[in-house]
Parts: sequence; C-alpha cells; structure tokens
Amino acid sequence: MPDPLSVRLKQLIVETLRLEDIQPANIPDNEPLVGGGLSLDSIDALELVVRLEKEFGIKISSSEEARVALSSVSSLTAFVRERGDPSRLPA
Amino acid sequence: MADAAPTVRIAALGCITPFGNAAATREALLRGETALRPVAVLGREGGEPVPMALMPDRALDETVPPAWLAPIRLLRDQVPGEGWGAPGRPVFVTGSNFGVGGLYALRRSGDPRFAVWGAPPTCTEQLRLELGWGPDVSILSHACVSAHLGLLEATRVVAAGLADEALVLSFDFLSPFVAGGFHALKILNASFPAPYRERGAGAIGLGDGAAFALVTRDRGDWRLEGQSLYNEMHHFTSNRADGSGFARCLAGVTRAAAGRRVWFKGHGTGTLEAGRMELAAATRAFPDAPIVGWKGHLGHTLGSCGLVELAIAAESIRGGRAPGTIAGPGSPMAAEVAFAPFATAGYDAVVCASNAFGGAHAALLLSHA
Repeated sequence: MPDPLSVRLKQLIVETLRLEDIQPANIPDNEPLVGGGLSLDSIDALELVVRLEKEFGIKISSSEEARVALSSVSSLTAFVRERGDPSRLPA
Repeated sequence: MADAAPTVRIAALGCITPFGNAAATREALLRGETALRPVAVLGREGGEPVPMALMPDRALDETVPPAWLAPIRLLRDQVPGEGWGAPGRPVFVTGSNFGVGGLYALRRSGDPRFAVWGAPPTCTEQLRLELGWGPDVSILSHACVSAHLGLLEATRVVAAGLADEALVLSFDFLSPFVAGGFHALKILNASFPAPYRERGAGAIGLGDGAAFALVTRDRGDWRLEGQSLYNEMHHFTSNRADGSGFARCLAGVTRAAAGRRVWFKGHGTGTLEAGRMELAAATRAFPDAPIVGWKGHLGHTLGSCGLVELAIAAESIRGGRAPGTIAGPGSPMAAEVAFAPFATAGYDAVVCASNAFGGAHAALLLSHA
C-alpha cells in the first residue's frame, strides 16, 4: 500500500506547480525532482518549499537543506515526516 | 560583453555604509568589525531574524520621505563640483531596488505618499529634485552589477567626448520587500555570511550602501581600465555549473592586468556554489593575487556593491593596507584568500568583480594614476 504522505506530496507537487500533464501516481519515488524527468527548475523548487512550509509547518532554513529535501519524493517524504507538525501529516 | 572600454580617470570616489564614509568603513573593516546584525526580516511585521547591515538609526520599514535620504545627503556632500545634470555633466543613477520598498509599504498601509518613491523613474526624479541636479539624469539597473554598468556607460560618454565629466551614483537601501524576497530563496538565515568558506550551508547578509564616482577623461588620481561585463543568459537564479561565465568575464580584464601585480576584490556573498566558482575563476585568471571579499563585514549592498566596494578598494590603496576577508582563518576554499589585512604597496592595481542574478558578471581594473 502506498505511503499516504508520499501520495499527498505527489499531489501537492502537481497542484503547486500546475503540472497539468502529469498524474501524481506517475511521479517516481526515487528520481531527482529538480533537473529530472519533471523538468523542475529552481523557481519551481522555491514555490514547492513555500507550499511545504505552509502545509506541514516545517522550516527549511537554507538552500542546501532544500536541495537535500527535494532530491526525490522519497527524501522529501522522509524530511517532512521527520520535521513536519505531526497533526498535519496524513494518517 | 564589453571588454574594450577606453581608459578614463576617476577624479573622486566615495561611499556611505553603516560604518560611515570610505575611510571610516575601511578602518572598521581593518579592525575586523561587521555591521551585520540580526534584524526581523519583515521589519515591524516580524519574521525570522536574518543578518542585515542598516544605516545607524534607520529601521528596515519604509517611511515618507524615506529615511535613507539622510545618508544620500551625506554622500552628496562628498561629491565635488556643482551643476550635475546640466549639459556636459550627466548623471548616471544605478541601483537594483530604488525605492521599491515604497510599493510594499503602499500595499500594506494604503498611504498613497509611498507611491512616488516606489519605481525607478519617480524615485530618481525625487532624488534629482532633492539633490538639485539638472535634467540630464539616466537610470541604469542590472541587478547586482548595476554600478559597473553605470561606470561603463559614463566611461563611454566621457571617452567619446559627449561629456566633460560624468557622475555615477549608486544606491540600495533595504526594505521588508527586498529582505523578504531574498529570504524566500533560503539564502538569508541565522548563519552570518562567510565569503569563500567551506561549510555546510551558505548564507548571505544584506546591507545598506551608496557610492559615487566622478569619471573624467584625463583628470584625477585613479585610472579605470579594462572594464568587462558579461551575461551568461543561462537561468534566472543560477550560473552555468562549469563556472565559465565567471572566467569569460575576467578574461576581459586580464589583458589590462598583464604584467602587473594585482589584488582581487571579489563579489563573495557567502553563497557556496557561486563562491566556489568565483574563487576558481579568480585564482586561474590571477594566480598570484590575494583575494578578498567584504560582504561578511558590510552585507551585500546589491546594485550599489560594485561602487561601494570600489570606493573602499581605492581607499585601501590610498591608505596602504587592504582589509581581509571576515570570518577568520580555517578551511578556506583556496590558499589565495586573504583573511588578514595586507599591504597594498606591493601591488600595481586592484581587480574588482561583482556578480548578479541571471549569470551577469562584471569586473574592472583600478590603478593609481
């Protein structure tokens, strides 16, 4: 069964970046988000970070930390699970 | 690309920073002081404390009239001569933000008096009236190489005989709008900037600053040589990963520097990737040059940084000693980075470089005439 947080993050990526031609379920778990098949760039990454901070109450303090968190859906899931407000994470 | 600019003289250079004029600023830098302090990123509206260097007694929040007019007036008092903006005496005003904080204040407060300062043309017109200039005032802006662009345009005008002399004025004063924008990029954080240092996370600080240069054909103590501007046109926020843009720009001043002993005043904001690329290009182009970056002391004064730091570099040559790179020794990216002040007597000239969003690069060579 898919990880609910991972599913939510994929939905959030599609919504935030308005990726109209991409189904959330088709985003791979372990491919690079920036510079990979989604063709996200640094401005997309910025939008995503702002959305993640609001949605999950996390704090990303530096561009280096953002880069690590956004390296893949799997790493993003682990990051949000570790840092996010537990009350805002999907059950 | 402009790397064949004619040589001109600079008859006067000056700046104003939170430390004071160029002499006071250099003295503070020689003592290893930093003007950066933790300031709430959105001013009175709060937010995370981030490193900023504001003029004394100035709050980050915009006011009407702007509180930053006071340091501008202090700078004006350093400018020799009168009749700027009259025929034959053009003024080039450069910066990256002008009074954009006024637009943010207008939106937050609804007070229409903020509007007039909020855009470059209206802000510059207010400045023109405030400083008593005539109508020959041009506005040039290209992010953090704005000051270099102004110097180059002034050089061309003077060298072509279209003006007897030209005044370049550059300024950038912080506001919640500007600080908030940088903060969103995750490069303003509680870690103070340490240019050219190897560490886990990059951080820059922002600073207030303004400066001027009086450009002439053949009068003055300073010779401005080998100006170079280059734009990679690669991406909004990033340089080419191979650093080729930095190298391409510096190539424009290596010819002017050939056979001379130079020191290198870099851009050095404290971001890790750009710092590495700049350092690699500088050490290749000028292998014997001590390299310094002063934004750990002053913060990044954005569009004015090229002229603010040029004034401090000139003052360093005049005074015989240049400030080192703040943040102390230990694990520098390259042995060539000067962390301690050094004597300038053994050098013929200084190369001053600035870099900007969008892969824009600028460099120039300044020597004592």
